[in-house]
Amino acid sequence: MQVVQTVFQADEVSRVFEPARGTIEKLTDRLTGKRPAIVQAVDRVSLSLAQGETLGIVGESGCGKSTLARMITGILPVSGGTRRFRGEDYESFLARRRDALKVQMVFQDPMSSLNGRLKVGEIIGEGAVVHGIVPRSRMREHAAKMLERVGLAADSIDRYPHQFSGGQRQRIGIARALAVEPELLVCDEAVAALDVSVQAQIINLLMDIRQESGLSMIFISHDLGLIRHLCDRVAVMYLGRVVELAKTSELFGNPVHPYTQMLLAGMPRISTERRTFMPIKGEIPSPLNPPSGCHFHPRCDRATDHCRISRPDLREKGPSHLHACLNA
Amino acid sequence: MNRAAFAEFAGRFSESWVAVASLVVTVLFLACALFAPWLSPTNPYDLARLQLIDALKPMGSPQVKPGEEIRANFALTQGQLIPEANDTDFEVEACGANCFIVGLADSSAQLMSLQLRGLPRDAIVDGASKHPIQPWWTLNAPENNQARVRFENLPADARVEAIARTDNQPTGFIFQLGSDAFGRDMLSAILYGIRISVFVGVAAAGSAMLFGTGLGLLAAWRGGAIDAMIMRAVDFTLSFPAILVGLAILAILGSGVEKVILAVVLVQWCYYARTARSLALSELNKEYIEAARGMRLPAWRIMLRHVLPNCLPQIIVLFTLNIASAISLESSLSFLGVGLPLTQPSLGMLIANGYEYIFSQKYWISFGPGIVLLIMIVAMNLLGDRLRDLNNPRFES
Amino acid sequence: MSEQFFEVEGLNTWFFTRAGTFKSVRDVSFNLKRGEVLGIVGESGSGKSVTGMSIMGQVEKPGKIVSGSIRLDGKELTELSFDQMRKYRGRRIAMVFQNPLMTLNPLMRVRQQMFEAISEHENVPAAQMRERSIAALKAVGIPSPEERLEAYPHELSGGMRQRVVIATALLMNPDLIIADEPTTALDVTIQAQIIHQMRSQITDRGLGMIWITHDLATLSELADRILVMYAGAMMETGATAEIIAMPRHPYTSKLLESVPSNNEPGQRLKQIRGTMPSLLDLGEGCAFRSRCERASPACEISPPMRSFSSTHHAWCHHPIEG
Repeated sequence: MQVVQTVFQADEVSRVFEPARGTIEKLTDRLTGKRPAIVQAVDRVSLSLAQGETLGIVGESGCGKSTLARMITGILPVSGGTRRFRGEDYESFLARRRDALKVQMVFQDPMSSLNGRLKVGEIIGEGAVVHGIVPRSRMREHAAKMLERVGLAADSIDRYPHQFSGGQRQRIGIARALAVEPELLVCDEAVAALDVSVQAQIINLLMDIRQESGLSMIFISHDLGLIRHLCDRVAVMYLGRVVELAKTSELFGNPVHPYTQMLLAGMPRISTERRTFMPIKGEIPSPLNPPSGCHFHPRCDRATDHCRISRPDLREKGPSHLHACLNA
Repeated sequence: MNRAAFAEFAGRFSESWVAVASLVVTVLFLACALFAPWLSPTNPYDLARLQLIDALKPMGSPQVKPGEEIRANFALTQGQLIPEANDTDFEVEACGANCFIVGLADSSAQLMSLQLRGLPRDAIVDGASKHPIQPWWTLNAPENNQARVRFENLPADARVEAIARTDNQPTGFIFQLGSDAFGRDMLSAILYGIRISVFVGVAAAGSAMLFGTGLGLLAAWRGGAIDAMIMRAVDFTLSFPAILVGLAILAILGSGVEKVILAVVLVQWCYYARTARSLALSELNKEYIEAARGMRLPAWRIMLRHVLPNCLPQIIVLFTLNIASAISLESSLSFLGVGLPLTQPSLGMLIANGYEYIFSQKYWISFGPGIVLLIMIVAMNLLGDRLRDLNNPRFES
Repeated sequence: MSEQFFEVEGLNTWFFTRAGTFKSVRDVSFNLKRGEVLGIVGESGSGKSVTGMSIMGQVEKPGKIVSGSIRLDGKELTELSFDQMRKYRGRRIAMVFQNPLMTLNPLMRVRQQMFEAISEHENVPAAQMRERSIAALKAVGIPSPEERLEAYPHELSGGMRQRVVIATALLMNPDLIIADEPTTALDVTIQAQIIHQMRSQITDRGLGMIWITHDLATLSELADRILVMYAGAMMETGATAEIIAMPRHPYTSKLLESVPSNNEPGQRLKQIRGTMPSLLDLGEGCAFRSRCERASPACEISPPMRSFSSTHHAWCHHPIEG
């Protein structure tokens, strides 16, 4: 029997953002006893990722999926909970900088995710050189190899990012991540800013890389079609919490949580027939002031008084299908 | 910046003729500053060469060579008049018995007077008037710069002294911009003044840039208490007028180039700190910084290699604008008499020097440096403005 | 109701920059009936937004409408002066942008902005303006519109703001609304609501709408007809069902194939090779030929219009035959 190794695990990780307060505001807050409004961007989320698996995280803007991505890569610290990489706690994992390179990220914005003052060769090679993966004398060679791997000409190393199109820049961003030999690649809306025809090229590239190197991936997107195409398992987030987590086919075929059902119903699809719209109630509440109990209850048809009071935890419905609905 | 980007930038820059003109003027001034010793006709710091006779000359006056005295001693022995100590300024000719012609070797300039002293009482000098008491014979405007001396009886032994006085003469050198109260050529003084002003401006604004940018980056990177401390110091500094800070510092430390630079740094560092901090904070929010964090790069590397280069264009714009303001601050301080030492007059001090003569219609002493200072500061400001506009896409039409 | 009230014919909008002339819109023609939604779909650089700006008379230097005619009820818009065009904007043609914060003034209450939109064109008492504003807000599905009138833009969510913009556009009961990526920045659930409400407003009021987007999926749910643009030129136009079910132009076909939901999950997506050519050096001929699998030497000359039905046309030398 083959033992499936867990690459990444998050246990009840949370992230709280406090608005930036100056010295004087802090003083007046203390004097008046007022507490500054905080945003619970990610609220006790637990996930795990097996070797070679691709996990999708889907949700609308403000659901905390980008914050979660940054906590997984270690760019942001957690406010609570634990993260583990191959069983090792992140505190010690991140402290060993060279090992910490095993988790890499591909960013959303192809314009701002590359430093415009550096040549492409330096952008890609910097991390590997700083951490001694390749000697400085071989940086250009290494960068050129990575560029070819993502389908760009090797002589692009001496050009600047602004000389490339959006799709090519995204390839450079992927090459930068690959240059330090990661084992887990977190893609945060990696194709959202690209045109449809370019989107397909980048998705294919990511799938090729996954197949070649057995990378584990976390793919974050608001695009359900993409998630469905690319992921083995999907987590649906709503206002900082995971509301449903299941195998892709399970989630799309048999969604349990009312929010997931609503998302799937709203998903635009190319078809020749007009859909009849299921009227959707309300707007996404502000993360500054989320509803009590189940965050979704003001927009939910099935909501009861119970939903208004108690926070639903993830519960099982069948094998590897978790959801957080009290009335499912 | 690569070549194509530079060409694009230069193209956009040259769309405004005002900007091109101010660039040309600024470059001219920088050249003046660099090459002042070669460009200026005289060295205004050479106090030994100043003559009071040249003081307060209007523009276009020639320099004056003051009249001088040429003295020589002669020994009269054995019927011969022989210059002592091989003096070659004078020539002696015999003109018959007991007759000599004493003349200046150089006969090109007309002498004002030629005086002979120590002749025996019975000597006759043609056309000369004798001093009523002393044995001095004076010949005014001597013909051919010569005097004919005749003796009744040739004395056996006597010492004769000849004193030739030349008149004040205009020389070929013209004070193009007039001269100041010390007889200094204003053109040279202005060229050296530009040199001093530009040096102080660049050095002061540059030091302020290094110091202020460093503190601004530190504030942005560390945040919290360090950020608060630095930014409150900025607020504190900004709450005083620049001239007041400068006056106070120079009043305590005394005048001197390095003290003026220190004063400017203390005034200007806060602009750089504030700008660098806000630029760095906005850069720190961009995804490429997160990518650098994901690459687990050390913080100093992220700040210096990723954040700083992206802030640099705006900081350089601030630098060009601040050179102009450093120059004007230095000039103001020098004008008030607390800036640079008198021996190294900057433009401000030149203006101050001429100030007292302005009402006696000797306007050129303040006028020249004033115009030059005005043009230089306006040109630098226009240049800085244009660079700032080009850096800010919102200003693009 | 079925007469064509709005026509664009042979529109060419070019941008004259130092780097050269960008022919952003080349020979674009289409028309619109009342109660109809025309979707213009294309990638960035396809010229879809510039087409919208040209209709609004908002092409700014160094851009210029080089040739072509834009007619609303037979009135030629390209010949109008700036002031005359301003009277048309808002009253007869309204525009909705992707970012509502570009349109809304952050310092003014919703009420002030909506009242201003009315009073610029009409002189009506405040009570009537209020009534009309509330009606417009209700029409786009804003709950408790009386309260929202007093709100500032920053107090509203993104979806609400966009609805306010749409309601303001509807206020003067325009003949034509041009919407440039109006739901792209919004979440899926909100997007679905707004599309639904827009559709019913168009049908009820009998206005024409041009919906500019990169997203074929939203168009397939909203538009009556679709115009596919690529690198400044028209590729294909037809009724939505015709385009979706049987695309004739290789570009449209490839675009549809590359959408993940039209692919087998987990398999490589069918992608379009290459990148869009620069608008600077297009030359004659089909703009898509460098990426097209069906391209032949014939594509070097400008492609002819091929008709497949009274509404379905493609500009291609080698269209996909049914």
